[in-house]
Amino acid sequence: MKPELTQLGGDTTFRFWPRHNEALYKRLETKHSWVEKPHGDGQFQDPLENDMVLNIGPQHPATHGVLRCAVKLDGEIIEKCVLDVGYLHRGIEKLAEGKTYQEFMPYTDRMDYLAPYATNVAWCLAVEKLANIEVPERAQWIRTMLMELSRISAHLLWLGVGLMDAGAVSVFLWAFQYREDIYKIFDEVAGARFTVSHSRIGGIASDLSPAAIALIRDFVDRFPDVVHGWQKLLNRNRIWIDRNVGIGVVSADDVIGMGMTGPVLRGSGVEYDIRRFEPYLKYDEVDFIIPIREDGDCLARYFVRVEEMLESVKIIKQCLDKLPEGPIRADNAKQAYPSKDEVYYSMEGMIHDFMYTSEGVTPPKGVEAYHAIEAPKGELGFYLQSDGTGNPWRCRMKSPSYSNLQGLEKMMEGAAMGDMVVLIGTVDPVMGEADK
Amino acid sequence: MTIDESGVAHKKEVVDKKNVVDKNASMPFEFTSADEPTTEQRPNPHAKESTNVQATVDALKARFGDAIVDVTLYANEHTVRIQKSVIAEVCRHLRDELGFTFLVDLGGADRFTEDERYEVFYNIVNVKAGKRIRLKVRVDEDELTVPTVMYIYPGANWNEREVFDMLGIRFDGHEDMRRVYLPEDFEYYPLRKEFPQLGIPGSLPLPPRSPEAGLTWDPFAAAHQGPTIKSYQEPKSADEDQE
Repeated sequence: MKPELTQLGGDTTFRFWPRHNEALYKRLETKHSWVEKPHGDGQFQDPLENDMVLNIGPQHPATHGVLRCAVKLDGEIIEKCVLDVGYLHRGIEKLAEGKTYQEFMPYTDRMDYLAPYATNVAWCLAVEKLANIEVPERAQWIRTMLMELSRISAHLLWLGVGLMDAGAVSVFLWAFQYREDIYKIFDEVAGARFTVSHSRIGGIASDLSPAAIALIRDFVDRFPDVVHGWQKLLNRNRIWIDRNVGIGVVSADDVIGMGMTGPVLRGSGVEYDIRRFEPYLKYDEVDFIIPIREDGDCLARYFVRVEEMLESVKIIKQCLDKLPEGPIRADNAKQAYPSKDEVYYSMEGMIHDFMYTSEGVTPPKGVEAYHAIEAPKGELGFYLQSDGTGNPWRCRMKSPSYSNLQGLEKMMEGAAMGDMVVLIGTVDPVMGEADK
Repeated sequence: MTIDESGVAHKKEVVDKKNVVDKNASMPFEFTSADEPTTEQRPNPHAKESTNVQATVDALKARFGDAIVDVTLYANEHTVRIQKSVIAEVCRHLRDELGFTFLVDLGGADRFTEDERYEVFYNIVNVKAGKRIRLKVRVDEDELTVPTVMYIYPGANWNEREVFDMLGIRFDGHEDMRRVYLPEDFEYYPLRKEFPQLGIPGSLPLPPRSPEAGLTWDPFAAAHQGPTIKSYQEPKSADEDQE
């Protein structure tokens, strides 16, 4: 099929999605601003006398993925910002409707790809709530522990990249050393460094090896000192504070009104953390605090995230101490995969394995459930509707980055162009999850 | 083990066997799609206290009466279905009087039924009291509009745009009803059940598959038009040289 080049009456230069860009600019433009090329008579327009419209992204490294910000500038100040998302849209929710519940699990790795384990568990918990599946104790403790590891891993990326955005390259390299350690742990635990897919509906795929436990213990012993070192470097660092203090301020009312979640919400003084609000897994049995700041600027969010990392270490240590012995998956062929011993050594086990792969969990007909977790970026939940078959009728993902980006649009207005990069860093969006 | 043919011993052996079978029969084989799904309600281990909002439901019933169509409870989650026309008033009442200030999520679903085909759900949280409620409205195919709540919860802005993008439901009074994920030039609503999962070839121009190649209108060009166009030259195999 040949593309037709006559999409906008008479204009023969082919452009992708002309109507889309027109609508976007229309939202942004006033009669005083100009877009890319001069309109009308082709006269030169002086940017000092007009507002200028500038596209940042989708292929800009500071946008942390494929976020497109069209901003209207008055000198150096952003007057209005329109975000264009969807460059990584894969139709995850549509894909889920054609998959069995277990089949969909690897897709969740590709959503929040900075903390895949947390998304895996979020999915499994939602399905378990929908189908009323009980998870063994040991699996719950292991999930709690690994989710906190993934939180550290995501916050490490935020710290490294956020500082690099502000001009400090060396912290990026230090942060990635410790991300590498966490990758090694996940490699030992799940056999994959990045897209772990280790959680299963009704439990987890494999038990922790002694080597994995040793690695985790070693990591949590070393890591707090490292964070304290970073705190010493940054907490009173003139450049870092000047770049962050008073930037992107949002009040508690605004942040709730805009529906923002996670560290952004807690940085503005709202006590909302799903680990306390609706305790899941073992969060009601471990001792930790939820860091909250009231300033609502970038510096407050920095403090919240760094302190969260230390709290995560505290949680992991408690999990290691309290880790009970026992099974790691529900012992019911209708709810979870049978263990490999059963699959390899009994006929029924193999049949169940087959049936679970082809059919999987079948929640009751016409029921619905929502389960949320506190992912590194905020409240991440799945809302599922069942039609009684092995595929979800409707899978809705509440993605924290999406909500936060919406607030970013408002945060940008009135900020200086140079702070844009810091602002994107401070809401910490993951486009894989924002774009679904 | 060989034993004399005494009835007692024989019986005992049978009982033993049965016990052994019982031990391993932890996975009952009852696994066909023809099975009626079970609706028995064991206590749900993942159910939360926060989603049980009987007091709020009662307050809404007292205030709005017949506009509350249906209230269901599953996994200790209350779902309140209300009439489409009052959704904005209910939301305003929830926010101002009952403390549900935080709109967490808003989305749509296709029920694929004759009437009241679509539904829009609202997930609203009361941060102070620690409560979460789910509202629901149904939308008929003949009138694909719902009153907007973006002036009550500004966070509903993008979510309503997403519902429009995915299902084609418009929100009355929304100030910026553009699509979110898909470009404006796209003419379909992908989350409707009749939309094929593989997409519709020719619905959007796609970037070239290699630097030399032109645009394509088919997401599966390689499958439909023979071998993949490569951006590099592969060395010829020995067989081809002979030809």
